[in-house]
Amino acid sequence: MKALVAVKRVVDYNVKVRAKADGSDVDIANVKMSMNPFDEIAVEEAVRLKEAGKVSEIVAVSLGVKGCEETLRTALAMGADRAVHVETDAPLEPLAVAKLLKAVVEREAPQLVIVGKQAIDDDANQTGQMLAALLGWPQGTFASKVEAADGALLVTREIDGGLENVELKLPALVTTDLRLNEPRFIKLPNIMAAKKKPLDKLSVEELGVDIAPRLTVLKVAEPAARKAGVKVANAAELVAKLKNEAKVL
Amino acid sequence: MIYHAPLKDMLFALNELAELPAVCALPGYEDCSVELTEAILEEAAKFAEGVLAPTNRAGDAGSRLVDGKVVTPEGFADAWRQYVDAGWIGLRAPQDFGGQGLPALVALAAEEMWCSANLAFSLAPMLTLGTVEALLHHASEELRNTYLPRLSTGQWTGTMNLTEPQAGSDLAQVRTRAVPQADGSYKLSGQKIFITWGEHELAENIVHLVLARLPDAPEGVKGISLFVVPKFLVNADGSLGARNDVHCVSLEHKMGIHGSPTCVMSYGDNGGAIGYLVGEANKGLAYMFTMMNHARLGVGVEGLALSERAYQKAVEYARERVQSRDIGAADQQPVAIIRHPDVRRMLLTMKAQIEAQRALACVAAAALDRAARHPNPEEKARNQALLNFLIPIVKGWCTEAANDITSLAVQVHGGMGYIEETGVAQYYRDARITAIYEGTTGIQALDLVGRKTAADGGRVARALIGEVRRTAEALSADAQMARLAEGLRDGAERAEACVAYVVDEFARDARRPAAGSVAFLKLMGLLLGGWQMGRAALIAKERLAEEGADVAFLSAKRATAAFYGAHLLPQVGALAASLLDGADAVLGCDDAAF
Amino acid sequence: MAILLIAEHDGKTLKSATHHAASAAARVGGELHVLVAGQSVGDVAAAAAKIAGVAKVLVADNAAYAHNLAENVAPLVAELAKDYSHVFAPATTAGKNLLPRVAALLDVMQISDIVAVEAADTFVRPIYAGNVLATVKSADPVKVVTVRTTAFDAAAETGSAAIEAVGAAHDAGLSRFVGAELTVSERPELASAKVIVSGGRALGSSEQFHGVLEPLADKLGAAVGASRAAVDAGYAPNDYQVGQTGKVVAPELYVAVGISGAIQHLAGMKDSKVIVAINKDEEAPIFQVADYGIVGDLFTVVPELVAELSK
Repeated sequence: MKALVAVKRVVDYNVKVRAKADGSDVDIANVKMSMNPFDEIAVEEAVRLKEAGKVSEIVAVSLGVKGCEETLRTALAMGADRAVHVETDAPLEPLAVAKLLKAVVEREAPQLVIVGKQAIDDDANQTGQMLAALLGWPQGTFASKVEAADGALLVTREIDGGLENVELKLPALVTTDLRLNEPRFIKLPNIMAAKKKPLDKLSVEELGVDIAPRLTVLKVAEPAARKAGVKVANAAELVAKLKNEAKVL
Repeated sequence: MIYHAPLKDMLFALNELAELPAVCALPGYEDCSVELTEAILEEAAKFAEGVLAPTNRAGDAGSRLVDGKVVTPEGFADAWRQYVDAGWIGLRAPQDFGGQGLPALVALAAEEMWCSANLAFSLAPMLTLGTVEALLHHASEELRNTYLPRLSTGQWTGTMNLTEPQAGSDLAQVRTRAVPQADGSYKLSGQKIFITWGEHELAENIVHLVLARLPDAPEGVKGISLFVVPKFLVNADGSLGARNDVHCVSLEHKMGIHGSPTCVMSYGDNGGAIGYLVGEANKGLAYMFTMMNHARLGVGVEGLALSERAYQKAVEYARERVQSRDIGAADQQPVAIIRHPDVRRMLLTMKAQIEAQRALACVAAAALDRAARHPNPEEKARNQALLNFLIPIVKGWCTEAANDITSLAVQVHGGMGYIEETGVAQYYRDARITAIYEGTTGIQALDLVGRKTAADGGRVARALIGEVRRTAEALSADAQMARLAEGLRDGAERAEACVAYVVDEFARDARRPAAGSVAFLKLMGLLLGGWQMGRAALIAKERLAEEGADVAFLSAKRATAAFYGAHLLPQVGALAASLLDGADAVLGCDDAAF
Repeated sequence: MAILLIAEHDGKTLKSATHHAASAAARVGGELHVLVAGQSVGDVAAAAAKIAGVAKVLVADNAAYAHNLAENVAPLVAELAKDYSHVFAPATTAGKNLLPRVAALLDVMQISDIVAVEAADTFVRPIYAGNVLATVKSADPVKVVTVRTTAFDAAAETGSAAIEAVGAAHDAGLSRFVGAELTVSERPELASAKVIVSGGRALGSSEQFHGVLEPLADKLGAAVGASRAAVDAGYAPNDYQVGQTGKVVAPELYVAVGISGAIQHLAGMKDSKVIVAINKDEEAPIFQVADYGIVGDLFTVVPELVAELSK
């Protein structure tokens, strides 16, 4: 079956993002950008399914600014076969992303879509579920294990209190959790090969999707920092402080 | 002990100072581009940070020799497997033999990362690439076809067997013997010392390049031949055959780079190690010299890489360590030590030299690529001369400075720096060898004054000094860079006097310029590094005026350049004085006075 | 118009996450209805009726809703939502699974994981792993919102709402519940525990993780949590993970044992009322957020603490 993975270009995991002084937005000018870590897991899972003979072709999709090409090249170097870039400078909310992806899915007709459970910039955790709803597909969210069976997908989901197993009819959508896999280090020859793999461009207009935002960000601010407390010498002093000072025991 | 590859500064040095786009336009490098380089270096950074750096500390516990086999430190075997699997060894290995054939300039940035992450580990691929280069240029087609495909992919590793107990810097003393056999092979016997990664189990086979003498060889350097001696003999079908008569008989106990086994190799204990002549007889040393530029550039980068890692550790500590109030501030609260002026001075001394050295190493690598590939013979020759001049400077300056910089990093840590558990001491110990191997600083300096300066009458040196003057001129309109401009102008003048002195005196009494040769090398390093910082400051100013400029990075670059002008360039005067006026004091001292 | 709150339950009992989300909904104002979707969930509905401020409990009792499959529940909620100004759910894995699907069916943008209500259409939510708080205003006709439960107190159980059956059965036939492997524990649930003892990679093994931490957790009546490093190392099951990508907790007392304090971990626990850190590295970032810190070997300090608590 054909698989489609969506990858988002986000501020790198190691960058500590700060609010702009005027509180209008976060300051991410010139910071390092990388593929959303959960999306890296999504690509890795698709590649593993391909290596296991369950998936025949992997299409990576990214939506947004020109720089997304780099993110797509990374996906291609990881093992995706081709890439689709829906290029736009407009800000995209998860609902708009889901609609755009739906339009791409309709063109590509994959049997499986894998996306990260959330992006580490807006931390919304919505796109996969929304896309599944718009497509009328089942969803296996927060997956820690995916098995392709005959016409169906067995997904182990990480839920509060443990794990849950669900069986999804194909076509289906999966969102990845951290323990689904550990993405591989990319091989040098694959980086070289990736630049020769096809990367097609689409526009929002071609896909005919209304991407007008529904939310307005009024303000961004940094939360009040927690102050360091005191060091205590031993367990006895700690218990005394917790009882008498903090009054939590 | 986290390591973050300094990608932004690397890309700045590559793209802006070493003109990567022009290098990618050279014949044979068409596959390379700025975008591809960025993609490669980002992945290299992930690998260095995620796989190699975490093994560095364990590596300090050292390799062990057990029953003739070397047991490498925890994590090394797995890191090697991943390194080979990811194809990193092939970066600049020839495409015809399974490598990617990328420019030395691109490879240099990745190699800095490997060295920063784990210097001891990085020596294995570095030596393997040296072996590839030597065989590629000088070996017969048969030898190349047998060895290169598996060396270029890291399936096998390579070593350099030059040194013997009595033959260190003076290879004329080599005594290892090679006796021709009826089948065209040779039997080697003798002992080689200081053989880095001479024995290990990481790869299936080890390919030793060995300097030895034929029975009828003339005395001295003109009687040394180069041989390939594999650990396991290679059958006609490429499969591995019998164990060859070459063995590691002991490991050295060293000051640093404990992770890399430094072997005493014994050849021919049981009748003779089978070897194959590379190229023609008696030309071994000349063959070794063809890859020496790249090897010495690589060791310069090792020094730079350790400086970078030590600097990162020092900055991290200085930001976190809270001691004493801010001098001159009303607030009595203790502050992070990065606020203290002398700690800032130390950190900037490290940072400014590191950035200057990275830039100069990249410029040298670009010259290496141009010298190898430029279609115009004049440009090719010009770049070869430039490279030849820069190599001893990059090697000598970066490694001498690495000793100072890693020492400063220990100093920033105060007493904690002297405690091994802190980790910074390892960089200091590891750095020490870089100013010694692949030609000591003294050897580099002698090369610089003799073959590289006096021999061409100072032509290349003066051309470079002219470049320094042009940059100083361009900087004079830049108020923030006034001290840098002045330092470059003044430095250029003193350097010119030094070149004239070297050229004149070398013919008259070579001992005189030799006495000040290290001062001359350091002077040229400082000045040419300052030249790069000047170029960087000018480019940063231009970029700052562009929309969407990376203000934080570019402003920091200019601030660092200004520090270089104010604090480092003034040393040029002192170094010039010791070359120009110091020879008598060195030579006049009676041996008995020591 | 009224607010519809999706109840969090396991088919038998109502979870306190619902109470926390109810008090967030109360900040918006307006009539509050709770939807209990499931099979044989009479007890859950009865419990929901007691939540202070709830005017009505809607019960969709059907086999199709038995395992809370989003494919089946989302159309139900979307259908009901037409009569509401807001749909709320706690930002639990169940809420996170369901609500975006509802939002898409309603063609609205969800507001995830709110930590404050500024106005009926304006909410505060953390982004960038909690490094930044964004205040966002919604222009959508229905506001679909998930609530970070630790940011709101639990609503009291002083109500007595009417209970009403609703909704047709929606069996989308897309997915099937196969089974669950729930962590069986006598301890309080991590998300709602008043005290949490959490361990990091310094515990060194699964045996030591449990052997060292559990006696302390027993003494304190605490839930046990873990850092991502400890979970990744296999010392603790994944649902122990506290952090930005695991559970976000805010207990009265959080004891971090052998946890260095990576930013992703801090994001998941820094709203705890009192934080205690035990770590042998005095430079560990965890000490920068800890109210009380002990620099020492956890294998010595924790047993001493247990002994001290037994006195």
